[in-house]
Amino acid sequence: MNDADDDLLVNTRSEPGEVGLVEARDFVAGTPFTFDNGQTLPGFTLRYETYGRLNAARDNAILICHALSGDHHCAGIHSLNDRKPGWWNNLIGPGKAVDTNTFFVLCANVIGGCQGSTGPSSLDPRTGRPYGITFPAVTIRDMVRTQKLLLDSLGIQSLYAAIGGSMGGMQVLQWGIEYPSFVKRLLAMATTAREGAQAIAFNEVGRQAIIQDPEWNNGYYPKSGGPRVGLAIARMMAHITYLSDASMDRKFGRKAVAAHHKPAPAAAMDVSELSMEGIDPVAPPAAFNVQFEVESYLRYQGQSFINRFDANSYLYITRALDQFDLAAAHGSLENAFAKVEAATLVVGFTSDWLFPPDQNRAIALALLRAGKRVSYAELSTDLGHDSFLLESPQLYDLVRGFLN
Amino acid sequence: MSLHAIKRTVDMQIIAEWVDPRSRVLDLGCGRGVLLDYLKQTKDVHPVGVDLDFDKISACVRRGLTAYQGDMMAFMQAFPAGHFDRVIFSRTLEELSEPGAVIAEALRVGKSVTVGFVNHAYWKNRADIFLRGRKPLNPVYTTEWFESRPTNPVSIADFEHLCASRKIRIARRAHLSGDWKTTCGFAPNLLAGYALYDLTQ
Repeated sequence: MNDADDDLLVNTRSEPGEVGLVEARDFVAGTPFTFDNGQTLPGFTLRYETYGRLNAARDNAILICHALSGDHHCAGIHSLNDRKPGWWNNLIGPGKAVDTNTFFVLCANVIGGCQGSTGPSSLDPRTGRPYGITFPAVTIRDMVRTQKLLLDSLGIQSLYAAIGGSMGGMQVLQWGIEYPSFVKRLLAMATTAREGAQAIAFNEVGRQAIIQDPEWNNGYYPKSGGPRVGLAIARMMAHITYLSDASMDRKFGRKAVAAHHKPAPAAAMDVSELSMEGIDPVAPPAAFNVQFEVESYLRYQGQSFINRFDANSYLYITRALDQFDLAAAHGSLENAFAKVEAATLVVGFTSDWLFPPDQNRAIALALLRAGKRVSYAELSTDLGHDSFLLESPQLYDLVRGFLN
Repeated sequence: MSLHAIKRTVDMQIIAEWVDPRSRVLDLGCGRGVLLDYLKQTKDVHPVGVDLDFDKISACVRRGLTAYQGDMMAFMQAFPAGHFDRVIFSRTLEELSEPGAVIAEALRVGKSVTVGFVNHAYWKNRADIFLRGRKPLNPVYTTEWFESRPTNPVSIADFEHLCASRKIRIARRAHLSGDWKTTCGFAPNLLAGYALYDLTQ
């Protein structure tokens, strides 16, 4: 276990309204951890970031839970040269809806991930090689239980709130079930209590794209290599499910790319990626070159993803999503929520077709049937599943009202 | 305080008298949660509100109330019989389509049902139609017909007719005069401005 208590008091430099420069830290658990599937690791690491200060009573901590392709870097910047801040920077910061003047905000990369936490790309101390597919199967509950060990190591006595969208929302629900007296508020957005057939189907297409790529090689590939084509295709497909018909049409319509157009700006990418050779090693006939901007955009999304994400982590985490079914795990959704003590807020988004409003409503209704304190709000947006990341004063007011 | 606010307060006080302490209360068309907040503070109830509007739900959440954004029929259908001690329609009734079916569903999920509504047959409202030939326009009916949502105006006689024809038991009733303060004991369908009913199956 690390001894990060003193670190918590280190003030991060900040501009008004922004978290500012932040640094990730590592929580190294030296004690064995047994996964839901029964396999044990001798220890594990979670990489995390914190914003704001833990108060003297140690009761102002808010845990942010990230989605499938997210990570621990949810606010602030790592260097002044960063092109983009953390993924939920619009929500988290001094004076923002999740106010770091009031709250001590943490976010950890999930177990099984690839952004610094222990996952399939980590070295197995027993063999000196990456775990690959010998890594234990990961569940949402494993993610939550490892996060709890991190919070324990920081001396946090209770969570003021757990907040997350999509897979993050699943973790939030699991937190309320697993540690009912520890977490005081649950805020779950664009999520589900039970991964449905359509969502599993999308995940399966992504996994097949990876597994059928010869470079996957049964999960054994060098750190810089691997099934880059498969992973990029998986990301392209998944990215569509995060958007909506209306938002894609507004952004791209049928706009054609200019002749000799290079897909999307990206200084950090090398030329071979820009030429799309990573996507399709066989040069296609001209008719199947990029013609529409939406194609160019998706190829860029795929390409930039392979530079930051590990294919095996993608397989593991999508499987964790597929396995998530609170009703089946507890007999019924009402049983699942029987022990919840937290006040809960569920937020659905009208255009979300990955975890549609009905699936979010079902969470709220089951909690109400179980006699719990829960509210459900539904924001009209046309931005699809990713709406929970939307810059929306209405959403900010709701979150602020729930937390204060 | 505006006339509307005063009237709202009287409405709340009567409903609060009928509500049992610490009971489970469902307010359909809860708006910004003013009534539920009052019931929570005075009767320590377990409140749940339902409304269609995001900002109204957001206001309820800010008050620390639990509220659900969505259709009230679909909401009630998700609950077993008798889940709520009391279901309240406070000035919601006339905005419903098929109010009879909604009240029947409320009587299924609620052990009792409280309905409060403006009496459309109050003499001043009749006068607007009879003398002026116009839709009532006053502090209660504040909008012109062309700026209004579709409404289904109801009178005390209409409501009693519904209860009689559907065999809904009226446990209590309160008819208030035009000032919405004093009780109206005579010819309520003509002289009462506001009506409250406490129903059971």
